[in-house]
Amino acid sequence: MRPSTLARLRAAAACAGFVALCAYPIAVTNPYYARIGGLVLLSAISASAWNIVGGYAGQVSIGHSMFFGLGAYLPLVLYSNWQLPPTLGVPMGILLAVFLAVLVGFPAFRLQGHYFSMATIAVAELIRLLVSNWDLFGAAIGVRGPAVSRTVWDFAFRSVVPYYYLFLAGLAAVLGTTRLIERSRMGYYLRAIKSGEGAARSLGVPSRRYKLYALMVSAAFASLAGSFYALWIGFADTSSTLGILVSVEMVIVTALGGAGTLYGPLIGALILIPLQNFSNVLFGAGGTGLTFLMYGGIIVIISRFEPGGLVHLWQHRLRPLIRSA
Amino acid sequence: MVLIQVIAGGLLLGAVYALLSSGLTLIWGMMNVVNFAHGDFVMIGMYIAYWVYTLAHGGVLFFTPLAAAVLYVLGVLVYFALIRHVMRGPMLGQILSTFGLALFLRYAAFWAFSANFKTLPDTLVGGTLVLGGIRISAAEALAGTVALALTVGMHAMLLRTSIGSRLLAVSEDRTAAMLMGIRPDRMQAVAWGLAAANAGIAGALIATFYYVSPTVGESLVLIAFVVVCLGGFGSVHGALAAGLIVGVVQSVSAYWFGPVYEDIVVYAMFVAVLWIRPQGLLGRA
Amino acid sequence: MLLRAEGISMNFGGFTAVAGASLEIEPGEIVGIIGPNGAGKSTFFGCLVGDLKATAGQVRFLDHEVTHRSPEHHARLGMARTFQVPQTFEDLTVLENVMVGALLRHPRAAEARRFAQGLLEFAGLAGAAANKAGSLGTPGRKRLEIARALATEPKLLLLDEALAGLTPTEIHTAIELVRAIHARGIALVIIEHIMEVIVTLAQRVIVFNQGKIIAGGLPGNVMRDEQVVAAYLGSHGRRARVPFDA
Repeated sequence: MRPSTLARLRAAAACAGFVALCAYPIAVTNPYYARIGGLVLLSAISASAWNIVGGYAGQVSIGHSMFFGLGAYLPLVLYSNWQLPPTLGVPMGILLAVFLAVLVGFPAFRLQGHYFSMATIAVAELIRLLVSNWDLFGAAIGVRGPAVSRTVWDFAFRSVVPYYYLFLAGLAAVLGTTRLIERSRMGYYLRAIKSGEGAARSLGVPSRRYKLYALMVSAAFASLAGSFYALWIGFADTSSTLGILVSVEMVIVTALGGAGTLYGPLIGALILIPLQNFSNVLFGAGGTGLTFLMYGGIIVIISRFEPGGLVHLWQHRLRPLIRSA
Repeated sequence: MVLIQVIAGGLLLGAVYALLSSGLTLIWGMMNVVNFAHGDFVMIGMYIAYWVYTLAHGGVLFFTPLAAAVLYVLGVLVYFALIRHVMRGPMLGQILSTFGLALFLRYAAFWAFSANFKTLPDTLVGGTLVLGGIRISAAEALAGTVALALTVGMHAMLLRTSIGSRLLAVSEDRTAAMLMGIRPDRMQAVAWGLAAANAGIAGALIATFYYVSPTVGESLVLIAFVVVCLGGFGSVHGALAAGLIVGVVQSVSAYWFGPVYEDIVVYAMFVAVLWIRPQGLLGRA
Repeated sequence: MLLRAEGISMNFGGFTAVAGASLEIEPGEIVGIIGPNGAGKSTFFGCLVGDLKATAGQVRFLDHEVTHRSPEHHARLGMARTFQVPQTFEDLTVLENVMVGALLRHPRAAEARRFAQGLLEFAGLAGAAANKAGSLGTPGRKRLEIARALATEPKLLLLDEALAGLTPTEIHTAIELVRAIHARGIALVIIEHIMEVIVTLAQRVIVFNQGKIIAGGLPGNVMRDEQVVAAYLGSHGRRARVPFDA
């Protein structure tokens, strides 16, 4: 196949995909499927956020739930304790998440590889345990948001459609930011750090500082995703927002699609989230176990056979095959 | 005094922690890799104990060696099928591989055995020992003593036997070991087998006095990490000392502050160890 | 005075790898460091570039104290180095590898790219610009490392056995590259095993043995020094011929 034909096909597919993404909630009226659309976007935002520090900079955090949870809890806590509009918590959550990122990242980034991952797991779990026992955050019960909007700032809509477009804007924001980073000095520095931190430092790259920057940006968007979740679902507790499975989902969605690529997380979300929902329905009561069983299996297979994810699979195995056809 | 009893209980539990961490520290030292599925190896040992008793009425003396054997094979299998390959690849792949394995094992157990806690009857290793005013359950005493003996035995094996010195050689300097005709691949597989077997034994022992559920792996793996970090990776006698310390700290915290704090203290210790001793963790000493 | 190392000692828990080594480099010099295996030259090198924290002694670059400073600080001041085992960024292209170096002095990506492209031409790697660094063979990687280090616009470049494992033809090309670098006014410190290379390139040679500097001076003189011959070449030393360009 000629390269120009392939390129044209690819551009056409990308256009079609973009249009589908924008028109989805209008075209699909079934609320169940519309809801899945919202879940896909939410997952894509969190995963894209993780991708900045985990995919590009190669710092595999398995504790990003701390940022997501922060973003989810804050708006609802403001509402349930002080009747403030939840949307106020969104920018607050972002600022606090960035602050938390510095607090955790500064000592944690002294550690390399597996040790860094373990540190993030430990800190996230510690936070989860503390929140589960703190009444201000609803302890084990969780916190709720408004059932109906008192003003427009409460963001409690009935249908998923306005949320869907809000999430789409959020996705555009995180992907736009990632693209900017990719093409700037920070992007090259992060990829160098991932490839070889020692060599990068010998070239003048202040690695610790850039890892922190990456974590700060990542945390901000993870918090945003959490806030979106809270505004939509109207409820948060530790297992849905601070549990380790929240962190793991971000990682495998990204890894499946392609860590360190721009659209990898979105692709991963488009595949994994519908799969998760349908398997839950399919397997019924024992469903939760089988879903994560499947997750585990997928992760093992990706890590063993194609750690670069689907994007890598496409670029390095399938595309050359098609080109030579 | 109740406190002394609590400490005694902590020491016994700590010995079990030491046993299950002893193999992990060996792998860590040899390959600089973290096995996120280690806690689930313990969990499998626990289920083996449960099912052997429930189905065949086998006792501790039967199901413990069986758990060791089954897990040894599993450990070697995991090494050859998964670990050996991912170690040559990117960091994300390495971390995901054992993490994925952990999820897989955990939820396989969830699916197969349901989330309900299961317990072995108290009468299996029954009774209470009374030593100078301290009451200890016989099951815990047995578990602790066996664990202690096996950990010390492992340490001795590494230092005194030929296979032990080969394992240590690969751990210290892989290239030099190869030049001496030792095959690192084989030794690493053996290490994985041993680590899994130790985890399995620990699980079987724990099942005699603790509840069996699919999710015990999650907290146990973190305890194992704390023990290995604290004791110095690659060091089995370090794991022994650290295991005992962690066991005591955990028990005393639960006693003083309440059971919820048991986990919090372990995580806090873990964070503290990582923060204060990063020099010991970056690369090998 | 570009670089001054005074009284550098390095102890590894009881084992002294380097004892009281001193070195001074002027701008534009080429200095070679030789010595048998385990003589301490790599350790000394590590102390100079900031890989290792010397247990005693001081290193000053352009009159800034750099003994215990980070590698990135060294690079910013103008000291660049290559690695004994090449550590190129495997997943990045050849051009991107050099760009990472160039971004130090050219923060804008477009400028850094242009500068990097120029450097690739200088190093003879322009043809491979779009290939992943992982696809290069060892000689290519060594060359890439040099180009990448040069991109940081150093005043001093330290090469750690950059010519080891190369065929004679490759060595010849590499020597040309080093000479071209020198012609740009960059000082060089070269650790090497290969006698011909040191003798051809170095204006001045220092010799390590068992952690100490046992000789220093013009290559010709140093090669004939009895201690050096004994340490390096053993009893066969007398019979080895060492060709050099005067």
